[in-house]
Amino acid sequence: MMTDAATLAPVQPRRRALALSGWDTGVGHALMILVSLVCVFPIYWMIVTSLRPENAIFSTRLWPDAASLDNYAYALRAVPMQRMLVNTFIVSAAVTAVQLLSGILAGYAFARWRFRGSAILFGAVALTWLVPLQVVMIPNYLLVARLGMIDTLGALILPHIASAFAIMLLAQSMRSFPTEVVEAARMDGGNHWQILWQVIVPNLRGTLASLAILIFITTWNEYFWPLLLTRSPENSVVQIGLQMFISSEGTQWGPLMAASTMASLPILLIYLVLQRQVISSFMKSGLR
Amino acid sequence: MKTTLLAVAVALSATAALAQSMPAEVTEPVTITFYNYNLASAGNGADATRKMIAEFEAAHPNIHVEGVPVQPQDIATRLQADIVAGQSVDLVQMPFAALGFAAENLGAVALEDIVPAEELAGHFEGMVPNGLELGRLNGKTYGLAYTFSTPVLFYNADLFRKAGLDPDQPPATWAELKEAALKIKASTDALPLATGIYGPTALDWLMQGVINSNGGAVINADRTEMTFASPEAIEAIAMLRDLAQEGITENLSITAQMEGMAAGNTAMYLQTSAIQGYLVKGATGNFELRAAAMPAFGDKPVKPSNSGSALSLHSTDPVKQRAAWELMKYLTSERGYTIITSEIGYLPLRPSIVNDPEYLGEWVKAHPLVQPNLAQLEKLAPYVPLPGPNYLQIGISMMDAMEMATFGNDDNVAGILTEAQERTQRLMP
Amino acid sequence: MRLGHLHLDPTMTDFAAEPHPPRMLRRMTRARRFRRQLVPYLYLLPAVACFVIWIYEPLAQAFVLSFQQWNLLPTAPKTWVGLDNYRNIFDLPKFWQALGNTWYYLVGLLPLAVLLPLVIALFTQDLPPRSRNLYRALIFVPMIVPPVVAAAVWRWLLDPSHGILNLGLQGLGTKPIGFLSDPDLALWTITFITGWKLIGFATLILSAANAAIDESLVEAARLDGASKWEIIRDIRLPLLSPTLMLLILMVVLLGAQWSFSYIHVLTEGGPLGSTTNIYYLLWQFGFGSLSVGWSSASAVILFVGFGLLAAALFALKAKVTFHDD
Repeated sequence: MMTDAATLAPVQPRRRALALSGWDTGVGHALMILVSLVCVFPIYWMIVTSLRPENAIFSTRLWPDAASLDNYAYALRAVPMQRMLVNTFIVSAAVTAVQLLSGILAGYAFARWRFRGSAILFGAVALTWLVPLQVVMIPNYLLVARLGMIDTLGALILPHIASAFAIMLLAQSMRSFPTEVVEAARMDGGNHWQILWQVIVPNLRGTLASLAILIFITTWNEYFWPLLLTRSPENSVVQIGLQMFISSEGTQWGPLMAASTMASLPILLIYLVLQRQVISSFMKSGLR
Repeated sequence: MKTTLLAVAVALSATAALAQSMPAEVTEPVTITFYNYNLASAGNGADATRKMIAEFEAAHPNIHVEGVPVQPQDIATRLQADIVAGQSVDLVQMPFAALGFAAENLGAVALEDIVPAEELAGHFEGMVPNGLELGRLNGKTYGLAYTFSTPVLFYNADLFRKAGLDPDQPPATWAELKEAALKIKASTDALPLATGIYGPTALDWLMQGVINSNGGAVINADRTEMTFASPEAIEAIAMLRDLAQEGITENLSITAQMEGMAAGNTAMYLQTSAIQGYLVKGATGNFELRAAAMPAFGDKPVKPSNSGSALSLHSTDPVKQRAAWELMKYLTSERGYTIITSEIGYLPLRPSIVNDPEYLGEWVKAHPLVQPNLAQLEKLAPYVPLPGPNYLQIGISMMDAMEMATFGNDDNVAGILTEAQERTQRLMP
Repeated sequence: MRLGHLHLDPTMTDFAAEPHPPRMLRRMTRARRFRRQLVPYLYLLPAVACFVIWIYEPLAQAFVLSFQQWNLLPTAPKTWVGLDNYRNIFDLPKFWQALGNTWYYLVGLLPLAVLLPLVIALFTQDLPPRSRNLYRALIFVPMIVPPVVAAAVWRWLLDPSHGILNLGLQGLGTKPIGFLSDPDLALWTITFITGWKLIGFATLILSAANAAIDESLVEAARLDGASKWEIIRDIRLPLLSPTLMLLILMVVLLGAQWSFSYIHVLTEGGPLGSTTNIYYLLWQFGFGSLSVGWSSASAVILFVGFGLLAAALFALKAKVTFHDD
């Protein structure tokens, strides 16, 4: 059955798009436009605010009267923004890579084998979500201090080698991976390691790409752990830089919005690059 | 982890055993850390702090100061972590609410215990006695007031005029305030009054000032009993409840209050003078911002409390103690307070510099908004830090009850406060 | 026509459940068997080691500390206080209010973070590439801004006196709406903002899962004359159900944490405790404070409470996911 289905001619996208026209499509587009507006307008407001002078921050005009880049200049001067962006990029990229790696391995173990303690271990992975960071923060800080890694980027990466979300999502996508394909590869004499990297991983591109985007963003926006480790702004990440415009004595909104805009652009680019992989990845290249 | 703790414990007790009196001067190069929250936000505070550190280092070539930026709300946690991790913690800009905890739990050193009495007395000379009191616990000085301010009543003079009020005659008592507020409510769209009294961020700093001004106190003098359900406190809360019921004030989060005032949509705002710079930025070109003293209860004396931070010394090594004490002396000198007041915007603890042209003379003339704040310095009743390891929980529970008693649906102010007082008393050390 | 027979075995069979032929096992030597049994654990090693070192070891310490009063400093005494720390937390007058609010947050988040993204993912999948990519990119945009900034912008847009949305509504004739200061509204406002930030996340995950569905199954059904709705109901939804369950599990377990930043920045749990949830309350009194006892007890309560909930969901998940042949 499966082999029959898999050998069917590839679907024609043009025909499918045509098949979709109808009143429900119209409703769909209306809904999508509304949702998109709600999603984008606050971000537009952030950018507009970053162009306003300090005494017009609460203005309700849709367009800044006298747009200026002063807030950007100030933000770049007050905080080592470029350095922080580079640091954050390094940390986020490293964390994304290691979390994908550990997630692929652990996900494969959970999906492929039933072994003693597998259910308990799987539960323990999910339950890591429930441990508040603030409680483990001080013991972890002591461990980092003992390793001599305070005020280093390595200390920002080390506790994030694995994530429950990556493991669970990958385990689940590997479980729904066609058994026939795996069996065929085994008939050809592939061992687990080869099957994982040559058959499964290439076909999970979509899931891996979306996961990569999400891990990258999560790390990019992380704040509490870097905060505890920071001793010098130069060795810190961009969220700490943003926080420097916020204080109990009054937040500098203009520069904060400018800095946030600068901090958000790289992630948008990452998304646009990676999301091509997400669209339709299933078995694009057929069975190898 | 166990072993590190043990090792640190051994190391600490070893230094304690070897502890000797502080040398008279620093002869060898030494590095001290200065945990500072002004450094953690961009702007004037950080620039002025860096400037002071640079000036100090130039005058004391043997001492190197490593500024460690920490957000104020995280400072105690960070110290705890760093002390346990064996990092060197020397001088700290400690928020007043955490000062008690720092003295009892984080190894803040009483100056009387390490500084020769004569030298200490010499440095204290010329400082406001009320201000020195801010850092004293059980008769010893655990902190020197560093960046501190008092509550003032900011008001929007344009809205006053619009309501037919005289902006030169701001309300001096709560009764006058209510009257003015009702006029503003009747003739403008603005919110008549916002206060920074409530909310977890404020904890009880401003509430202490309000209740003290009515002759009460949230806690007794030797910090053993909560007293916020006393008749004076109940009366003060009932007055605030009346303002809320009249629709004069609303239960807003601290950012919403600040933004409302800065945007020109709020007529009066009782809040720490430390946010003046922020309000001025919003007001420039939009409306006229003025400031008055904190309102009184009838003819009872106003007893404003203080917000802000003190400097606390945590070194255990005698040489570092000396170095940190030298930095502390510099920061609280005439020169130090001049920079703190004119460049960051806090109050000077040395009143003589206010009219001295060498220090603040010219600056004070150019910045009239600071006047009510300066005038209140004399009447200051120091903020009393809540005691014990549960101080934060006590403070939050008390303020929750006060918020409920002011803005909730239940009119039984006394009942709510009494219940909460009994509950928080159980958390006292 | 039901297409039940189509979406069966190939993709859904859990290959962990695949029985190994016993004949082969017997033939293996003990050493080989041991090695074979060891393999799964080797694959798990990096992840498990990370969790043990950075999460579970500190949690175990917290469990012990939750029965003590101590300030972590080696010089200070540790006092055994038994269940006092727990009693203090359960005594908080806001505890039950926070628990109730946690439930409302959950109820509010599920449609925003699961249902709407599902609709979006299904709808956009069949669009021409250009509009599909555009919609998905726009919906993704809220993900990229830091939570503090998102919270601040929403506060400005909603402010009763200078918020453009509120002023717009007032222009339509409403009174100023205290989206964040009215105790009856504030919780829903924060739920909305939390959900707004999550739509992109959930859409991305569901789109990836949807794209991973074998198109030949869909095409075969279409050739059999299945309508668009039948394809969704009988092929896509069953195949998406594991991903949906994962999302629901996340919302249930993490929803209270996700709203944390917004509660913290926008209302600090107020007005009158109306927006506080269990995570925020435990943070305020417990793990956000300096008292190790309160902090540890709060962590244990959170872990055990939500852990039981998770166990129930896992049981449910197993039922739902394997129940479709």
